[in-house]
Amino acid sequence: MGPLDLMVLLLSDHTVRTVAAGAVLMGITSGVLGVYALLRRQSLLGDAMSHAALPGLALAFLVTRSKESAFLLLGAAFAAWVGALGVIAIPNYTRLKPDAALGIVLSVFFGFGLVVLTVIQRLPTAAQAGLDKFLFGQAATILQRDVLTMAVIAALALLVVILGWKEFKLLSFDPAFAAVQGFPVRLLDVALTSLVILAILAGLQTVGVVLMSAMLIAPAAAARQWTDRLSTMVLLAAVFGAAAGLGGVLLSSLGDSLPTGPTIVVCASLLVYGSLLFAPHRGLVWRRLVAGRRQRAVRALQVLAQLYWLGSQHGDPFYPHPAGALRALAGSGVQASLRELAARNWVRRLPDGRVALTPEGLAAVSDFLQQAAPDTPVPPSSESKPEAGP
Amino acid sequence: MTQPLPKHALAVEVADLTVAYRDRPVLWDVDVEVPAGVLMAVVGPNGAGKTTLLKAILGLVRPAAGSVRIFGQPIKAVRHLVGYVPQHREVDWDFPTNVLDVVMMGRYGHLGWFRRPGPQERAMALAALEQVGMRELADRQISQLSGGQQQRVFLARALVQDAQIYLMDEPFAGVDALTERAILNIMRSLRARGKTVVVVHHDLQTVREYFDWVLLLNVRRVACGPVAEVFTEGNLRQTYGGRAVALEARRP
Repeated sequence: MGPLDLMVLLLSDHTVRTVAAGAVLMGITSGVLGVYALLRRQSLLGDAMSHAALPGLALAFLVTRSKESAFLLLGAAFAAWVGALGVIAIPNYTRLKPDAALGIVLSVFFGFGLVVLTVIQRLPTAAQAGLDKFLFGQAATILQRDVLTMAVIAALALLVVILGWKEFKLLSFDPAFAAVQGFPVRLLDVALTSLVILAILAGLQTVGVVLMSAMLIAPAAAARQWTDRLSTMVLLAAVFGAAAGLGGVLLSSLGDSLPTGPTIVVCASLLVYGSLLFAPHRGLVWRRLVAGRRQRAVRALQVLAQLYWLGSQHGDPFYPHPAGALRALAGSGVQASLRELAARNWVRRLPDGRVALTPEGLAAVSDFLQQAAPDTPVPPSSESKPEAGP
Repeated sequence: MTQPLPKHALAVEVADLTVAYRDRPVLWDVDVEVPAGVLMAVVGPNGAGKTTLLKAILGLVRPAAGSVRIFGQPIKAVRHLVGYVPQHREVDWDFPTNVLDVVMMGRYGHLGWFRRPGPQERAMALAALEQVGMRELADRQISQLSGGQQQRVFLARALVQDAQIYLMDEPFAGVDALTERAILNIMRSLRARGKTVVVVHHDLQTVREYFDWVLLLNVRRVACGPVAEVFTEGNLRQTYGGRAVALEARRP
C-alpha cells in the first residue's frame, strides 16, 4: 500500500478528517501571518503572545465557569493583546531592551496562567475543566464547529493580507517610508498583530500555547529559503503550514501514543531543516558546493598562472615543466588542479609527466591576469598563436 | 501632475522646534527657513540632530515644542509634496523583493489604499532607474546590491514620488566617487526643475562646490543661509566645537 493510499484510508475516518481539516486551516493561517512576523523580526512576539494567552483563557473560565469556547477564546485574545502591548511598551517606558521585554511578558504571563490553572484544578469542577489541553493542544477534541471557526479565521486573514498586500509589504520593508506617504503605520501594525492573535487562537486547541510560535515561525522560515519573492514566500508558507498540519495529524493517527500537536510541530521543523540544508541558492549544501567549486577554480587558475610564469622565464609560454616544479610554487592539490585544467584543455600532459600550457590555456591565463592585475605584462594576442607556423 | 503648485516663498519653515528623546534634547529651539528651489546641506557633528530634523519635518517624530510648515501648510496636508531618501542602512536588504518593486513603493502614497501598481507605475519606476543608472538591474534581488546601488535605488524611489521637496539623509554615505557624481547631478537637475533639495551631508570639503544653501546644526541652529555668507570658519568652529575639522572648510 503506497503512502497515498494510506492517506486516503486514514482520511476516510470522520474524526481524522475533522482534525486534519482543522490542522490544515491552522497551518495556512499561521504560515501566511508568520511571513510578516518573520520579515518584521517579530517572530518572538508571537511566542510571547501565545504564552500570554494562557492566563486569559484560565481567568475567562474562572469567571464564567463555562467551557464555552467563545468565552475562552475571548479571554485568550484579550490577554494576548495585553501581552503584546507590554512587549511594545516596556522598551519605550523603561531602560529594558526588547529581548528582555519579550522574556518578561512571556514568563510572567505564562507563570500566572499556570497558577490559575492549578487553582482551577483544585475546584470541585476540576475534572470537567481539562483546560490543561491548551498547554500542548489536544487535537482529538476538535469538533466540526471548531473547524468552522478556524475556516472563518483563515478566510479573514487571507482576505486582509490580499486586500492590503502593498500596504503590508511596505510596512514590513520600510515602515518610516510608509508613514511618510501617509499610511497609518500604527493602524496597520495593530491590524497585523490582531491577525497574528487570531492565528494563535486558531492553533490553541491543536498545538497549544507552548508550541504555537513554532507554527508561526517554521513555515515562514522554510519558505524564505526557497524564494526571493514575497508572493511566492506567502504561498509557500501556507503550503508548508498546511503540509505540517496534515502530516502531523496523519502520523499521529497511525499510532495512538503520538500526540498530535507536537507531531505537527515536528513536521514543521523537519520542513525547516530540509529547507535550510537543501534549498537552492540559500541552502547550506548548495552554498558549500558553490564555495568549493569557486575555490577549486581559483586554485586551478593559480596553477595555470604559475605555469605561464615558468614558461615566460624560458621565453616560451608553451615550454613544458615537470609537475613537481609546480608543486613547489603552488603548494598541495596541484594534481587535482592539473586534472581539472587538462579536462578543460587548458594544459596538456606529456607522456614523460611534464605539463605544458595550451593556446586555450594561454588565452585563459591572459584574461585572468588582465582582470586580476592589469599591470602584469601579458603577451599581445597576435603573438599568442604559436605553432601556427610550419 | 495636475496639482497646482503652492505659491509660497518658503518650501520648509521650522519654528522653535524642540525634540527630546527621554530627557535628552536632540534639537533645541531650532528655526530653519528653506527657500523654494535651493540645494541645501545640513551639516553638523554626530548627534547634532540632523536625521531627527528631517524626521521632524516629515512628521515621523513628535516634537516637544515648535512647528513645521511645508509651503505654509502642515505636513499632513501636503505629504505628496515631500519625497524622502532615508539612510540606506535603515531597512533590511534581505527582504524578498527586487529593485523595480522597491522603486514602485514610491508610488504607493499616490495610489492610496488597496490600489495596486500597474503599467504606469512600472514605467515611472523604470524611467527613474534609468536616471540613476540602474535600469539594467531592475529585476535584481535587492540583497545582491552594493551600498552605492542601494543608495541609488532609494534615490529612484524618491524620484517617482514626484515631489516638490526632497529630504535626503546622507545620500553620499558609502558610495564611490562615480556614484557621488551621479547623485549630485540628479540633485542639480531637481533644483533646475525648481525643486527644493535638503541633504544631510558629512563632507565639509564639498559643501561649497555642491550646495548653494547650508544649515549648520549642533542641537541648536548655529547658522542658516547662503553658503557664501554663513559657511565661515567662525560658524564651523562654533558648530564643531573648534576642533581641527573646521580647518577643512577654509577657502583655498
